[in-house]
Amino acid sequence: MQVIKSFFVGILLLTPFLKTYASSLKDSASVGINTYSDSSDVTVYSPTFSLMKTLSKNLLVGFSMRIDAITAASITNGGSPVIADTVVGASAKEGFDEMRYAPTFLMAYEDGENAVSGGFYLSTENDYDGKAIFLNYVRQLNEENTAVGIGISQSDDTWSPVTHRVLVPNNSRKEGKIDISVNQLISPTASIQFVYSKLWSEGFLSSTYHYVLQDGFAKFEKYPSTRSGDAFAVKGVNLLSDENSINYAYRYYTDDWDISSHTLNVEWMHEFNSKLTSGIRVRYYTQSKANFSKELGTYSATDPYFAIDYRTSAFDSYDLGIPFIYKPSPTSQYKFTASVDLYQTSNNANIKSWHGDSNIQAIYTTLKVDYEF
Amino acid sequence: MQYLVLIALLLLSGCSERLVRVMPYEKEYFAQDKMRLSPVDARAEQEGHIFLIREASAGGDSSFQGGCGCR
Repeated sequence: MQVIKSFFVGILLLTPFLKTYASSLKDSASVGINTYSDSSDVTVYSPTFSLMKTLSKNLLVGFSMRIDAITAASITNGGSPVIADTVVGASAKEGFDEMRYAPTFLMAYEDGENAVSGGFYLSTENDYDGKAIFLNYVRQLNEENTAVGIGISQSDDTWSPVTHRVLVPNNSRKEGKIDISVNQLISPTASIQFVYSKLWSEGFLSSTYHYVLQDGFAKFEKYPSTRSGDAFAVKGVNLLSDENSINYAYRYYTDDWDISSHTLNVEWMHEFNSKLTSGIRVRYYTQSKANFSKELGTYSATDPYFAIDYRTSAFDSYDLGIPFIYKPSPTSQYKFTASVDLYQTSNNANIKSWHGDSNIQAIYTTLKVDYEF
Repeated sequence: MQYLVLIALLLLSGCSERLVRVMPYEKEYFAQDKMRLSPVDARAEQEGHIFLIREASAGGDSSFQGGCGCR
């Protein structure tokens, strides 16, 4: 049996992206490459590029592009796909199985007290087209000791399964999110941030390829067509000494599928000299299972929902990483950053069933050069 | 949710002089890379997507995340 590989792709997480110019709009450009490789033979190379151009003292436009070149070998629980896809990948083939292109266009305004940014995002791959709009507002208060922000994004994506199956209720997936954040400086050496996020989704929310195979029947995964979640996070950073700092974050997530999770992230940073800063970070994540997810082998053909993806089951994950920041000089227009992280899930029966291994082990890296004109 | 809105309104109402805790000339450390909540932007982008597709949780990051077919 051939296998199906649930996986992966690239990104566009705009928070750090936006922070780059939110405090002071500048002309800038960046190039980089990210990689991802895991124990289920998925490998992704992601070159990135961005260009920011000021139109005036208060106005900036930007463009970024990310390309994900993906290879995905076969796994142990799949069928016999004839069309390559990130999810329905074919092993022992030359070149990449799938390419994803994700451009983002944005505009930002900033006057010292107010920062507004917005834009739209597109994503095109073999079996999925995504488009989204986003808008963020940040207000500085209390002599810039406090910053209150609100952001909203809405996506409207379309599935086009390579198997040409008809999706129920439809082939769309819409997702929205509102974030409310408060940042507060506590002292000259410490700050804290609180974030609340409201998330909602509707449409075809499971994978189009995963299926439950048991006792002579096979059923494609079927999840509820709506989902609503809440996330609460607190983050902080403290200076320990002139050379050392520690940042920490905790997030609690809960949703109406009864999935709840705790995420803890701690990172120590050390300034080796005026040019090089590095450190180490650890992250722990644990989640409960969805209320419609059942143990493997216990489904019946008349069940309303079917779930085999391990992400609907209970599991933990661990991340250990090392970041690098290098500036040739304090006044240099260049900044080099890099990172390498090891990621691993706990042993999980669903992972074993679908991927063949008891857990997923991955390594991911980043390398980026920023330049300010 | 209502508590967050209340806190935000209090902050916006201007009755928050006690929150002026750091003067401009005391903000030197906050300009350093090691004092950022997320010191490496590219890693934040990369891991944001990896965690989103490898785990079932999201949010808490005050950011926009584009969709893809890997979830």
